[in-house]
Amino acid sequence: MPSMNEEKRYWRSLAEHATSPQQDEARPEFEAPLAPPTQQERRHFLKLSAASVALAGAAGCRWQEDHLLPHTQQPEGVVPGIPRYFMTAMELGGAGVGLKVKSYDGRPIKIDGNPAHPDSLGGSDARHQAAVLGLYDPDRSRGFSTLAEGGRKPASENEFRGFAREHFSALQAQKGRGLAVLAGESSSPSLADMKARWQARFPEARWFEYEPVSSPNERLGSRLAFGKVVRTRLILEKAKVIVSLDADILGSRPDSLALARAWSKGRQPEAGKMSRSYVFESSLSETGAVADHRFSLRAEHIKPLAAYLDAELSRRLAAPAALGAAQSAPSAKFLEDPELRKLLTAMIADLAIQPGASVVVVGATQPPEVHALVHRINAVLRNVGTTVQYLEGLDSSEPSAPEALRTLNEEIASGRVQTLLVLDSNPVYTAPGDIDFSAALAKVPRTICASLYVDETASLCSWHVPLAHFLEAWGDVRASDGTISIQQPLIAPLYGGKSAIEILAMLSGDELPWGLQIVQRALAPVVGNAAADPRLWRKSLHDGIVPGTAAAPDHPVLRPIASFEYAGGALSGLEAEPGQLELVLAPDPKIYDGRFANNGWLMELPDWATKLTWDNALLVSPKTAQVLGVTDSTLVTLSMETESVSVPVLVAPGQATGSVKLYLGYGRTAGGSVAGRALAGGSVHGEWDDQASVGVNAYRLRSKRLWDFARGANVKPTTEKYRMATTQDKHTIDRIGKFGTDDRLPMLVREASLTEYEEHPDFVKHAVHHPPLLSLWKDPVKYEGHRWGMSIDLNKCTGCSNCVVACQAENNVPTVGKDRVYMGREMHWLRIDRYFKGDPEQPEVVNQPIPCQQCEHAPCEQVCPVGATSHSHEGLNDMTYNRCIGTRYCSNNCPYKVRKFNFFNFHEDLKEEKNKVQQMVYNPEVTVRFRGVMEKCTYCVQRIQEGKFRASRENRPLRDGEVTTACQDSCPTQAIVFGDLNDPNSQVSQRKANQRDYSLLEELNVRPRTTYLALVRNPNPELG
Amino acid sequence: MQPFVFPRWSNKLVHLAGAVLSIAPLYLIGLVWYGASPRTLDVGYAPKQPVPYSHALHAGELGIDCRYCHQTVEKAATAAIPSTETCMNCHQRIHTRSPKLEPIRASAASGLPVQWTKVHDLPDYAYFNHSMHVDNGVGCASCHGRIDKMDVVAQHEPLSMGWCLDCHRAPEQFLRPVDEVTNMAYEPPSGQTQLATGLELRRAHEINPPTDCSTCHR
Amino acid sequence: MAAVGDLQEWQRESGAADAPAEPKDYRAWQTESRGDNPFARITDTVIRIVETPKPPRAWYIALTISLCWVACFLVAVSHLVWNGIGIWGNNNPVGWAWDIVNFVFWVGIGHAGTLISAILFLLRQQWRTVINRAAEAMTIFAVICALMFPALHIGRPWLPYWMLPIPNQMDMWPQFRSPLDWDVFAVSTYFTVSLVFWFMGLVPDLASIRDRADTTGRRLIYGILALGWRGSARQWHRYERAYLILAALSTPLVLSVHSVVSFDFATAQLPGWHTTIFPPYFVAGAIFSGFAMVNTLLIPARQFFGLKGLIEMRHLEQMNKIILATGTMVGYSYAMEFFIAWYGASPYEQFTFINRAFGPYAWAYWTMVSCNVIFPQLFWFRKVRTNIAAMMVLCVLVNVGMWFERFVIIATSISRDFLPSAWGYYVPTKWDFITFLGTFGIFFTLFLLFCRFLPMIATAEVKAIHPAAHGH
Repeated sequence: MPSMNEEKRYWRSLAEHATSPQQDEARPEFEAPLAPPTQQERRHFLKLSAASVALAGAAGCRWQEDHLLPHTQQPEGVVPGIPRYFMTAMELGGAGVGLKVKSYDGRPIKIDGNPAHPDSLGGSDARHQAAVLGLYDPDRSRGFSTLAEGGRKPASENEFRGFAREHFSALQAQKGRGLAVLAGESSSPSLADMKARWQARFPEARWFEYEPVSSPNERLGSRLAFGKVVRTRLILEKAKVIVSLDADILGSRPDSLALARAWSKGRQPEAGKMSRSYVFESSLSETGAVADHRFSLRAEHIKPLAAYLDAELSRRLAAPAALGAAQSAPSAKFLEDPELRKLLTAMIADLAIQPGASVVVVGATQPPEVHALVHRINAVLRNVGTTVQYLEGLDSSEPSAPEALRTLNEEIASGRVQTLLVLDSNPVYTAPGDIDFSAALAKVPRTICASLYVDETASLCSWHVPLAHFLEAWGDVRASDGTISIQQPLIAPLYGGKSAIEILAMLSGDELPWGLQIVQRALAPVVGNAAADPRLWRKSLHDGIVPGTAAAPDHPVLRPIASFEYAGGALSGLEAEPGQLELVLAPDPKIYDGRFANNGWLMELPDWATKLTWDNALLVSPKTAQVLGVTDSTLVTLSMETESVSVPVLVAPGQATGSVKLYLGYGRTAGGSVAGRALAGGSVHGEWDDQASVGVNAYRLRSKRLWDFARGANVKPTTEKYRMATTQDKHTIDRIGKFGTDDRLPMLVREASLTEYEEHPDFVKHAVHHPPLLSLWKDPVKYEGHRWGMSIDLNKCTGCSNCVVACQAENNVPTVGKDRVYMGREMHWLRIDRYFKGDPEQPEVVNQPIPCQQCEHAPCEQVCPVGATSHSHEGLNDMTYNRCIGTRYCSNNCPYKVRKFNFFNFHEDLKEEKNKVQQMVYNPEVTVRFRGVMEKCTYCVQRIQEGKFRASRENRPLRDGEVTTACQDSCPTQAIVFGDLNDPNSQVSQRKANQRDYSLLEELNVRPRTTYLALVRNPNPELG
Repeated sequence: MQPFVFPRWSNKLVHLAGAVLSIAPLYLIGLVWYGASPRTLDVGYAPKQPVPYSHALHAGELGIDCRYCHQTVEKAATAAIPSTETCMNCHQRIHTRSPKLEPIRASAASGLPVQWTKVHDLPDYAYFNHSMHVDNGVGCASCHGRIDKMDVVAQHEPLSMGWCLDCHRAPEQFLRPVDEVTNMAYEPPSGQTQLATGLELRRAHEINPPTDCSTCHR
Repeated sequence: MAAVGDLQEWQRESGAADAPAEPKDYRAWQTESRGDNPFARITDTVIRIVETPKPPRAWYIALTISLCWVACFLVAVSHLVWNGIGIWGNNNPVGWAWDIVNFVFWVGIGHAGTLISAILFLLRQQWRTVINRAAEAMTIFAVICALMFPALHIGRPWLPYWMLPIPNQMDMWPQFRSPLDWDVFAVSTYFTVSLVFWFMGLVPDLASIRDRADTTGRRLIYGILALGWRGSARQWHRYERAYLILAALSTPLVLSVHSVVSFDFATAQLPGWHTTIFPPYFVAGAIFSGFAMVNTLLIPARQFFGLKGLIEMRHLEQMNKIILATGTMVGYSYAMEFFIAWYGASPYEQFTFINRAFGPYAWAYWTMVSCNVIFPQLFWFRKVRTNIAAMMVLCVLVNVGMWFERFVIIATSISRDFLPSAWGYYVPTKWDFITFLGTFGIFFTLFLLFCRFLPMIATAEVKAIHPAAHGH
């Protein structure tokens, strides 16, 4: 059978891989659970090769030393082919989220949130989901290297150790004079511990913490307000009114996953729980998308707005004198806008009548005094203690990130730095435009860079040390509330990488060389002596959190806040002023500060709001675009002071008039074969070819004046056009198309206000009127046994798109690259439709996830000439890849267009030797599709089978919630529920009993198994 | 020039052609049906193994239970080939010098795996699960044949999709009590036909193997 | 008709065949041989084309061009099979684009042949006799081009046989609910029957070539092809019977094939596809395009091979009338689609048609309407109907229009269906063009070879209706 041969050919390459010498030298390290490869089906070779490569990396390594404690779902322990689960944690920008990792025969293949972790509660975001791909990224640094004339040359670990031993002992002799460390911000106790020891050993050494995406303002604001640093915790469940001042609480805070869950608890109209949120923001955020009232306002306007709120509320609620004088209402031009005024009056009334039941939040990028003021506002609203709680925070005297880098730069310039150690940081790329860090590096005689990739910085350093991925190394992190999680490795370092703490230990000649020991030493105060009594240690590993490590509650005393000074355009009007535009630079929702830029899954993930892939573009509001005379994909020159970049425009509804936004993290010059690589010598092993950078580097625009946002940007249109690949509204919708969309939108996304809902709880039934639905034939299937179904609550979906990546990771969905996305060939099984309503400047937004609807009368099944897609007796719409001949008829006949076709063999690149490692990321329970076949969402049928097998082995019925889909697992708000419709008590059955339940295009009588709960918003009646 | 005329003998050709044309299709179908079927191509495949391990000896004469070596068969999709340690459990005492066992000893010493050759090989998109079959009373012998009589393991059944379906559609032909699965010489209780016992077991344990595509293909 | 048989006998005995010496120029020869036996002249006119050692220059030029395109086609196909459908512009949502457009286009072209040879035969339309042979040939070649697409457009082109009911180890069967499977059977049946029908018609003429053959090669080849035809009354009797039966057989096929093809769309639920008017609409369209193609082919042919005497203006005019009629039917269908969309009151349906006429693909729609409905109206005027240049232009336009009709139906409907989020736009790649033009290469190559090596006109039938066949 040809198809079989095809698949065989494909896998055979893996077989060869598995029996490569690499693996053999690894054998000795093999532990019992991993049986020899030849016994396994070829399909399983990849997981074996995974382990083998892993162990190959662990040359003479700690494998025997380390002990992993499985989160045993299989009590009988290790069985080849039966996955095990381990808890670990991932840190980003100084806060960690606890994760649960699925390990398939020693190979981590799937990541979800740790339900026990305060910042996850089981949810996980796209970056967590995509971490496994990052782990197996073939572009990662494959070993030590050093700078020699004529580019970099690989070096052995021992060479480096040799250099380090002599050099650092010499440094120690001179108390570390001339030694400087540049590290990222981290919450890790053991890193802090190592840092302390480092400073003890090198008293005169300098230590700088630089994080490109970091805003010290929260910390500074807290100091202003309370004279000390506290952690602010929001209790959104209890909040009836949520006011966000340029704060994306659901999307871009370290604790957003948890906040999103809490918020979703307050969005259940049937339970009588409906919070009301007012969002003022410069650019559309997830929080804004689900807001009941949203107003696009420039970031610079937030400060006077806060002052106005404080003034009004203090007056209305007679703020106690102890809180000091209130701000005086500023006479800002924008505040005269009638719409805004109306909104504010209503909102203030709303806040005033329910004291202690509201939350006011301000965005991290807003200036410290605004943060301080918001603390005051919450106090005035009597929210402190109920919806807003304070925990003890760690006050660090460290300078804020921007200053840190500047000081280091000056230190270097003045020749006070002879040795620079760069720990997991990429300043050459992320430094602001007015700091030329590559020049600075050149001035330092000895530079050591520890990084995952030979990136912009590493390639200029005299030594490069491969850094271990967080799934490869021991460590620990703190949650936003201070809870400690132990980061345990899932796999031995693929390329002999070392973790930051191990490198510090190595260089400072610490007596403990191994990560595990270092972590245990650092955590001794909280877990006790693990060697003597491992119980608490094991429990912590098992649960993924160290009990009782959350920060203690704090009751800080509010100090009077000085009255505000306003500068720049703070008091300006709403209208756009060309040449005086506000430029907002923000971390990319997908690739963050650029560190994930080489991750294909994230690169191809459509931006949740703009649906843009493979690029960053200048977001401009429709009105502003008009003023500037630009349209979609016009190439413009964006200049700020002296620096300027050429960037395409993307007209983004919801962008504040006069404010333009550009995401950081793109335009990498040594990012890798995905992110782009244009740098000679970027390659150590010489197998790399140059690659155009993806997007433009927005860091160039940063300066002393502009860190997160500032006024004064200028946009000069050019005549050139730039081709951007979006997955929705591919071609700017013409008049006809817009008419058609507006016409049917109310039927697709059914929506009502809370009052309407209370009057007609069955409003969804009246959204569409169609003749009685008759079927041509009787149902062929009876659906005894299970009847799988899914329900998606539009009231809870924030559009975050984590589920899209989760699905990709679970189901081996390929990435196709920019050009093919542009052609409309993206492969995501689950897409999130985003529609705008109303005024483009102040739009309403709805999100609607669209997986396969698993129709009972599936149109695709009727038309397949070979029966490759057929109906299972459990109501699944099975897709059999190896039967598919690829007529694409099913896709044509699918009203939801959820079927994706393999136009090419999208796994072609894996045949290249250097890419083989990436095969390890595949889920062995899912067929890797060959070109020419159709594929689609299967409700994660492999999980259903696995669950049924488990139940049958244990001679018990399948429990509700035992089988979950990947998208469901990742969803932070639990908007997606999957289960058995034959079980009346199952969660999904109850969801479908809800009156808001409706099915998409029900008038076609295809009877989808995936249905939606209609959207109910809770606008302020006074604004009705 | 004399117009072309078909010679006499060509009349015979006509009949011959007729015969051929009518038989050819049948022949082709036969060819596809039998010639190209796994029953013809795959059955009997018995590759040479690095170690001349005899199931006839171990499973047959010595009567070692299948699960002693293939321990995961009841728990997982694959019935694991035993690790070298398993062999050495006995063979560090028995036949410690046998040259046949050299590869095993070598493997035990070096830690490198013994490279067995796969006999029963399903396509990679077919997801077979041993535990589901063994735990429901499908005997090893039903698919693997009388392993206990094989010195060199050979494929006994075609392992084709049609063959799988034959059983999935009417499992009673092969079902046996779960505690009999590893019994190579299993016979239905005297006086009972396989069909009768099979149906009984099927009813008793509600064994209704699905024939959906997603049962084996995902 | 028995008379004709006798005539044949007579013709061979009298040896009228090898009458005049071979002239260089056919036209000259025609004029001088006016006086001869009319039947001999007919035979001669037709068969000398086959016998002449040196066809007109135009023929060589045309053949070279066509062969070049055949080569391009082969390149495109290898590229396709090697790399996948991705080399075309197809995407999600537009799963079917030029591949299926071309398929339907070519099947449609085929229709005229069968219609002329079968239906007009049953209706005793005598004027058909001069064109039916060429028309049938065109059918065969068009269907060959058409048949390539269902095989090539699938993602794994080495597996089309899975659509056939062949017993196999998988216990898998084709899914007969799928119109694509109906297609497979409809089109292949149609092809077989037309082929047999065509070849049968050829036999007597092949015999006459055989009898006039002066080289052994030709003598042998045509001899075998002629299946020992002697033209005896008995043979003629059988021949007539068989011809009648085959005509009766292919008549329903003319209607069935394109109806079945239209089911591919009519049975889908996609707005713009899902409509009951399709079968008649498609058949009318097919005949429309078919006749246009016949004209496009015959006008040059009669020019270069000097068949003016046989293919007369009245024949062409007849066909133009049919084109006018069917064109108007097609126009009616277009209108009806819009009416039903409005009348059906389904917002999706309505949008589809508004989008068709005014959306991103409006240009394609209006090309279609003008080529298929507006321009053919000129055939109301006798002057246009009988003007070679005019009819040539119009017929080519009709072919263009009919191709666009399929494109409009398939691509525009599917590019914007139910969920606006899934809307897309289809842009062809160079490989789409090469593949399409390549099929023209194949088509014309085959037709040119036909003109050169087979009798372009059914002499026997022409004779049968020749005044001389009915005593003066």
